[in-house]
Amino acid sequence: MPSEEVELLLEDYAARFARGEGPDVREYLARAGAGRDELATLIDAFLAHAAPRDPDAETIESVRAWMSGKEPLLALRTRRRLRVDEVVTALMSALGLDDAKRAKVKRYYQQLETGLLEPGRVDGRVYEALSRVLRAKVAELAALRPTPLQTRAAYFRAEPPLADVVSSPAAEPEEPDEVDALFRGADGPSGA
Amino acid sequence: MAHDADADDGRLLEDGEIDVLLAKYWPVALNRCRARLRGHPDAEDVAQAVMLRLVDEFHRGKRYGGTPYRVVVHKVIGWTISDYFDGRRLDAPLPDELGMTDEPADDVLSQMYLETLFDALAGKDGNVARLRYLRGLEPDQIMAVLEMKRDALDQALWRVRKKLRKELQGHA
Repeated sequence: MPSEEVELLLEDYAARFARGEGPDVREYLARAGAGRDELATLIDAFLAHAAPRDPDAETIESVRAWMSGKEPLLALRTRRRLRVDEVVTALMSALGLDDAKRAKVKRYYQQLETGLLEPGRVDGRVYEALSRVLRAKVAELAALRPTPLQTRAAYFRAEPPLADVVSSPAAEPEEPDEVDALFRGADGPSGA
Repeated sequence: MAHDADADDGRLLEDGEIDVLLAKYWPVALNRCRARLRGHPDAEDVAQAVMLRLVDEFHRGKRYGGTPYRVVVHKVIGWTISDYFDGRRLDAPLPDELGMTDEPADDVLSQMYLETLFDALAGKDGNVARLRYLRGLEPDQIMAVLEMKRDALDQALWRVRKKLRKELQGHA
């Protein structure tokens, strides 16, 4: 990639960061192609020297939820007074998924809410869709996961239907599909 | 403005508003980790380890004297990323001297913010840089604010991009 393209990507990233849009570094690294290493270095140095914005209310609330051992994404959905099915419907529509995939999408979304998914493997399109329905920068907030001990405690407190849904312990192994790729990245399901 | 931001952070820390401080620096920590780990999925866990360490420091009563909190944050980010790459535990206690440095040219302290760099740019370049990189204005907006023609703005942005790239590479 020509060096000017790397400079333009840095400029675009910086401008969006300054506006509080929460640009995702991963998206920019993907666009940089062969220039990704240099762009990563420049963005890292930029972030180390740029004054951060004052946090928005959603980020503060999410950090408070995280510090008190709650699941920030779940707390956000609760504040928005949205049911899981409403979020799932929005996801299905935004991602153009077949209705037959609904149960799987719902299972993955609930895993994301309870910190059982690796947030770094979730596709940016999922976060974009969630950001629209939840009206927050979900790609940043979802990365705040309850600590493993807190997650286990939350899981075992769950009502049986939710516990069954999020773990699917007895499910037959399936061939990875587009939904697996969206929520678990290229590696697909890993036996959870 | 840089000094105002540091003073604000100091007040938040003294007032015990660690949640607001962490919320302010969370996007920075997360995206620095993503950049340094080149988008690897572990970046989110490394960033969270940064946050956990900062919380732990706060609860241990660390207040860092006159060292700006942003210096502390970036040191913790750097150490945590190093621990990750070196295979060390990410929850190990941090050195007691965190926040104090006797290095003659600590990068974050000496360079302050990008504002310092942009202040040194000639002519309208500094204003262009501040509006584009620190306020996020689009070119059309910058032209209106600074009453510049498109050609002049494009040339200024071209110079700023080159200068910024060189400076950031030097501080990487």
